Amino acid sequence: MNIVLIFDQGLAGAGGKSNPNVGLTAVKGGIGSALMMESHLEKIGAKIAATLYCGNEYFLNNQEEVITKMTAMVKKVKPDFAVCGPCFNFPDYAKMAAMISASILEKTDIKSCAMMSVENGETIENYKDKTPIVKMPKKGGTGLNDSLADLCALIKGTVESSSDLEDIKKRVCY
Amino acid sequence: MMQKLEKFLMPVANALSKNKVLSAIRDGFLITVPITIVGSIFLLIANFPLEGFLNLMTSVFGEGWDAYLGRVSAIAFDCVALLGVLSIGYCYAREKGLENRIGGAVVALVCFLIITPQRTFVEVEGAAEAASFSGFQFTFLGTAGMFLAMITAILSVEIYAWAIRKKLVIKMPDGVPPAVMESFASLIPSAIAMTVFFVVGIIFDHTSFEYVHYFIYRVLQAPLVGLGRLSGFEVIYQFLSTLFWFFGINGPAVTNTIFSPIHKVLTVENYEAAQAGLEMTNIFTAGFSDFFCNFGGGGSTLGLVIMMAFLGKSNRMKTLGKLSLPAGIFGINEPLIFGLPIVLNPLMAIPFILAPVANTIIGYLATVTGIMPITLGVQLPWTCPIFFSGFLVTGSVMGSVVQLVQLAVDILIYYPFFKLLDKRYLDDESKTSSKTDELDELSFDDLEFD
Repeated sequence: MNIVLIFDQGLAGAGGKSNPNVGLTAVKGGIGSALMMESHLEKIGAKIAATLYCGNEYFLNNQEEVITKMTAMVKKVKPDFAVCGPCFNFPDYAKMAAMISASILEKTDIKSCAMMSVENGETIENYKDKTPIVKMPKKGGTGLNDSLADLCALIKGTVESSSDLEDIKKRVCY
Repeated sequence: MMQKLEKFLMPVANALSKNKVLSAIRDGFLITVPITIVGSIFLLIANFPLEGFLNLMTSVFGEGWDAYLGRVSAIAFDCVALLGVLSIGYCYAREKGLENRIGGAVVALVCFLIITPQRTFVEVEGAAEAASFSGFQFTFLGTAGMFLAMITAILSVEIYAWAIRKKLVIKMPDGVPPAVMESFASLIPSAIAMTVFFVVGIIFDHTSFEYVHYFIYRVLQAPLVGLGRLSGFEVIYQFLSTLFWFFGINGPAVTNTIFSPIHKVLTVENYEAAQAGLEMTNIFTAGFSDFFCNFGGGGSTLGLVIMMAFLGKSNRMKTLGKLSLPAGIFGINEPLIFGLPIVLNPLMAIPFILAPVANTIIGYLATVTGIMPITLGVQLPWTCPIFFSGFLVTGSVMGSVVQLVQLAVDILIYYPFFKLLDKRYLDDESKTSSKTDELDELSFDDLEFD
């Protein structure tokens, strides 16, 4: 099972607030925070095919371009599932992730989800009907490992069209 | 093993960081930090560790110039319990979901002052009886009253919130301005809280303790702060703070609920000792914790970032190192925590936990052997860069020298782990460059759109 990750510059290991304007970048395999997700993904037999990212300010200044190009790139890579997150409580990244995931679901046949903490209330409210959004703790909060396990349960259930997918969504998503 | 540890730590972290009382105390002290820092700067100027500077100031402003600066530092340090009761009261009112938080804070302050001795006795030579005058003394408003301030803030706001919840309030007719409405609504809750503390004060007047301050100091504060003087205290604090971080949990946010009041008392006690011309004896002050245990953020990652920037072979390490170095010098390592990453990365867990512990032991040994002076009772911004911080917080260049040694030890601790991760990233990158499939040429520049 192939996965594409969509990160911001912080999670991609391309610097945090010091590098907010980095443009759209695609890298084969997992980078940055992918390392903390790998052991979970392995358990469901998933492999990270590519990581796509851009800076949070680059996204804010070029929203349409970022959404269109990220969607097109996911389509090109053809993964089984695209993970837009984990966004913690980073507001710009959360907005970007929700918009990209909604766009992937709308414009391609590829399955996708976003993942963020409850602090992104407005984004969750605006997009939870357009894309599954997996619950997770804020930066420094408790339960990160559990939420990554939840994410994998959703990926597996979705890709395998599991009969209890709706139950999983109810349990792990907003 | 890791899973078991997390299963054990998660509930602990949840219980501590979500506990309303502990959160209010932790956040309340955070509110006082800027005041302490400003006070520390005034204190540092008055006692700057360069004789030439002090002489220059005397020649410009005349003898006694430093006494003026003392007016600011006295409020920051000698009134630390007074500031604490107000800010903890405010934060606890927030935790209790009260709308009128400042109302809760003021009640907390008033209750504290009700139980604080309002008359000061002074022995006068030759007189049969001690003279007395009306007024509060710093003794009761400073460190010695800190734990009482915490307890008073929590209890008084608890009573205040209880009365509001029970609707023991005076309702004004509609049309009365909101400020007036709020003020009247606070009347009965304030009266109940103040009366309770009035009675408590009288009860203690009739015991051998005399004042609540002495009671709390002897039964609670002295034993707890005594723990802070044990040699293992800081090591445990540093160990736990980084252990939580490894699981993605903000370690200090959890551990500070317990440790920050003790650090604060230890720091201000050193200030008071110095002011009284006594020897400072507390090693594990806030300054020690901030500037001799962690460099470049939790896990003391400055050494790692320096290696990444200058010794990294993989592009990923080099780029992240160079981008993280400026923030790292000022003690911020968020790009590293999530970008390297350190969170949930078992390889980095070992040095991340080990480095601050090693620093703590080195700093402790350097202090007890007299290689560097004990840390002063000042609090500097935790973003103060390495070497400056060591000099300012000990008043000696040896503070900076010890930091240099600690940084070198951190580099040695991180080195093997850094090399392993760098090699892994380098392998990843060389695989990409050897081009085995179409994913190797991913680029946003040649996308096709439908």
